Amino acid sequence: MSTNKIDPNKWVDRYSDYLFNYTIVRVNDREVANDLISETFLAGLKSMKNFKGEATERTWLISILKRKIIDHYRKSNSKKGKAEIKIQYNDDSSEGDWLEENAPDRFDKTAEDVMENEELGVAILECMGQLNEKQAKIFKMKTIDGFDTEAICNEFNITPSNLWVIIHRARTILAQCLEKNWY
Amino acid sequence: MNNKKTFLVDCSEAAKCCDKSQYKESSIAEKVKMLLHLVFCKNCRKYSSNNTRLTKLIEKSNIQTCTEEQKKAWREKIKKEFTDI
Repeated sequence: MSTNKIDPNKWVDRYSDYLFNYTIVRVNDREVANDLISETFLAGLKSMKNFKGEATERTWLISILKRKIIDHYRKSNSKKGKAEIKIQYNDDSSEGDWLEENAPDRFDKTAEDVMENEELGVAILECMGQLNEKQAKIFKMKTIDGFDTEAICNEFNITPSNLWVIIHRARTILAQCLEKNWY
Repeated sequence: MNNKKTFLVDCSEAAKCCDKSQYKESSIAEKVKMLLHLVFCKNCRKYSSNNTRLTKLIEKSNIQTCTEEQKKAWREKIKKEFTDI
């Protein structure tokens, strides 16, 4: 059953953007996300022997990352106990005697929308796994980072019509992949 | 996609123009030709609406990419650790 092989030198090119978006949704801090991904890569290297090839490389890395994210929250939670809570009793003019009434309303309408959109980002990157490396790289540069056609052509040494063919293939694959869940 | 030619443009040209216009890089002449083609070609209409939807989904999703420096740092770290093992 060990059909899936591991190749650490390809990890960054293949999975870093995916892992990054997966993490940023959950920790909401670029630096923390970068640290967690570094730890994930290192932990992955150390436990490579345990990779049985039953899951894909990506699923395996995500399972390590999930544990890192949980650890991160455990650590920050254990610090929380020491925090001091100060309640400021406002002057009489403010309405509501109960603490709850003074608390900000967190359940604004957008929270759920934001959540859904971030899941969407991970879904799109998951679908990008179906593209080959060159297609994925060019598509990301063009669509997400917004590079000029000319700049990309120069970097990859291709003509604009080559570029549009690659973009076309990438868009067709992505649209098909996303069709099931998001269209 | 079968290559049907209507009004000077075939399907592959229409698709290319459709892709370009997702990045606002198609000229007005190209757009007019494409739109005329779409009137008569059901397949391309479908492609066009899917393609526009994809653009919107990507905009909405707020995907971020890691910086190149960060990627480079990771690559080097992995390479170093990997050869140590």
